[in-house]
Amino acid sequence: MKVYRGAMLWLVLALVLATAAVAQAPPPLSVVKWDYPPPFKNVTINVVGDAGHNLKPYEFWKGDFEKVGITIQIIEVPFEGVYEKEKTEFVAGTGAFDVVTFYPAYIGDFAGNGYLEPLDKYMKKTPASAWDPNAADVLGPFWELYCKFDGKVYALPIDGDVLMLQFRKDLIENPQEKAAFKAKYGKELKAPETWQDWLDIGQFFTRKKGAKLAGQVLERDFYGSAEFAKRGFSFAWFLNRWAPFGDPYFDKDMKPQIASANAVKALQNMVDSLKNSPPDVLGYGYDELRDAFVKSTVAMVVQWTDVPKKGDDPSQSAIAGKIGVGRVPGWPIGGKVVHRSMMPVGRVVAVAADCRNKEAAYWVAKHISYDRSLEDVSTALTGLDPYRTTHFKNPQAYKMFPTEARAQDYLKGVEAAMADGYPEIFIPGAAQYEDSLDLHVNKALAGQESPKQALDAVAKEWDAITDKLGRAKQIELWRKALQAYSSLGLIK
Amino acid sequence: MSENRLLLRWRRRRVPIFFVLPAVITLLAITVFPLIYELRLAFMSWELTTSEPARFVALGNFATILFHDSRFWSSLRVTLTLLLFGVSAEVAIGTGLALLLNRLRRSRTMLVSLFLIPVLIAPVVAGFQFRMIYHDQFGPLNYLIEMATGGRWRGFAWIADPKIALLAIVMTDIWQWTPFLMLIILAGLQSISLELYEAAEVDGASAGQTFGRITLPLLLPVIIIGILIRAMDSFKLFDIIYLVTGGGPGNVTETISFYTYLQGFKFFSLGYTAAMAFLQLVVITVIAQFFVNFQKRQAGRG
Repeated sequence: MKVYRGAMLWLVLALVLATAAVAQAPPPLSVVKWDYPPPFKNVTINVVGDAGHNLKPYEFWKGDFEKVGITIQIIEVPFEGVYEKEKTEFVAGTGAFDVVTFYPAYIGDFAGNGYLEPLDKYMKKTPASAWDPNAADVLGPFWELYCKFDGKVYALPIDGDVLMLQFRKDLIENPQEKAAFKAKYGKELKAPETWQDWLDIGQFFTRKKGAKLAGQVLERDFYGSAEFAKRGFSFAWFLNRWAPFGDPYFDKDMKPQIASANAVKALQNMVDSLKNSPPDVLGYGYDELRDAFVKSTVAMVVQWTDVPKKGDDPSQSAIAGKIGVGRVPGWPIGGKVVHRSMMPVGRVVAVAADCRNKEAAYWVAKHISYDRSLEDVSTALTGLDPYRTTHFKNPQAYKMFPTEARAQDYLKGVEAAMADGYPEIFIPGAAQYEDSLDLHVNKALAGQESPKQALDAVAKEWDAITDKLGRAKQIELWRKALQAYSSLGLIK
Repeated sequence: MSENRLLLRWRRRRVPIFFVLPAVITLLAITVFPLIYELRLAFMSWELTTSEPARFVALGNFATILFHDSRFWSSLRVTLTLLLFGVSAEVAIGTGLALLLNRLRRSRTMLVSLFLIPVLIAPVVAGFQFRMIYHDQFGPLNYLIEMATGGRWRGFAWIADPKIALLAIVMTDIWQWTPFLMLIILAGLQSISLELYEAAEVDGASAGQTFGRITLPLLLPVIIIGILIRAMDSFKLFDIIYLVTGGGPGNVTETISFYTYLQGFKFFSLGYTAAMAFLQLVVITVIAQFFVNFQKRQAGRG
């Protein structure tokens, strides 16, 4: 009897787990046409990436890999530990990883130091249905800036992170609010087009508990806007404001351009916007900024594109169905408004230069980046975001939205944001340059430095970092990066 | 002497060495060797983000840190502030708790076990916990403040206000490590002979005189050890900073260990990081020596 009960228990457990595993994979969509390559001979491919839901695709499509004789071993590292873990293994030459997932800001460091295999020759193999990752399908800024280095392709995209304007459509379209805004500011209330609009609308919607908002009495304080103002990525929210001016991070001789009058204006705008933000905004990272918006504390944010997917889920959001999306505000320059959206984080996959099974590793990367990518970015089971035209042209795949029309609106917003995409610094030393910028932006936000003092300090530190890393080599690499910037019209 | 006796003598002297040798080799490998390697690195410039090999720069790293790196000094200042206020509060509260617990008989064990819970929690968990507690709008701390003041005061933006973010970190540290000091001070209290208190009572000493003339002097060596351990720990404070504030707002909570982590694991400036680590070792050694000398003087007087 005991043996029978024990066996039954194990059987039930196995069935439950198997069901759970099957139930967790998104359904195949058959939108992208692809083929299997010729089978490999029982190859194991070690895939490294940041732990959590973004590695799920390798489990979803395990069967695809097994069909061609590939076994995937997943190595998870903490989100913040990706660079140090992968860099350590590359420098030590351990060959521990075959497919490496990393944030594209590292591409200059990894490709420039010879850790990655150029992929151009694999992309050209035949048949194209098995090997071609369809680069033309990837939105321009992401492909040119984050997948290529020195004219060669080193990585394929899997997560198109970009920042996007998200706002309370119900408040912006409310007739009473529109009339009151027009009376006060002399212009129409609509999604902010410029950073001055951002300040005006932010100020307009900042109200105390007991005041009215869209005809309802507020039970707690409400704020016009919020920023990612915590140490770590606050620099990206500053760069959204600076990038439209078309100044590059450095000129062709690596002289920092970050302390210009335009940059000071941009940082001052960010400092001013904090007056319309919750009092604890200096502690807002990704989670806090998302929650401030979806829990109806603020009227508008600039955030990553996955937030509206959660925001339309009533179980997670107090504002489901009320979210509007749009382009990150810009500045009027030369008679038109120029918009730029930072592309912080993001994920790309590459083949390690010391991988022993490069073709198999490349096919794994290509399969995730192209063949199954629509299933992966359209499901709530991952945090991966769209980056291909295919992703934007198939709204029916995004089942987390209540209607296809809502999904279409969301995708149009993401596509527009990505077309405005502006990269992080992606030459060696990126982490140091960005940390310096982040520290001083944060000091300006905290009132420890004025915007001018902050950016002057950044310029000085950037020069010191360039000298420490080797000025001649940095100039050489930066000039190659500048070509990509110029080709996309991102700099003047 | 016969050969057998010589062999036996040799065995008695040499064989124990072979038994402890594995442990000694392991200790050397994991402590002394890395220390020497790191000291060597401190005199090199080695930027792993480039493909340049390491090169000898003599005292270049130390000179840059001491004379050109204002961030090193500001992070050291933050660490010493944390040490001064945090450890002082931990000693004061820990001593008070220990004195109270020392008076109890039956419930002491249970209460000590309950008080020790914060110490048993991993600092990373404590960091997550306090990040939620300090949340301005949804955190329980501000909720309780608002309730207690009848809605007149909403509390602080604990980790977002540059003026009090460091206080929030100090409070987290005090919550977690006061029980540790309480425990060692309690152990010290229990080692004091009861006869001394009986003699003091017979002589008509007041409670204050008993505490000042008997308890405190005898407890001082234990307290100093506690302060020393906590002072060294303050230099290692990282998890809570990383999770709660990330060193911000601005750099008001950026401690020396957090800055060293950035240099080593974000920037991969290995030589510079090694030099910073050795400078911290010097600072900690000076502080430790100060307390050891103080304790020796106190012991000498006793």
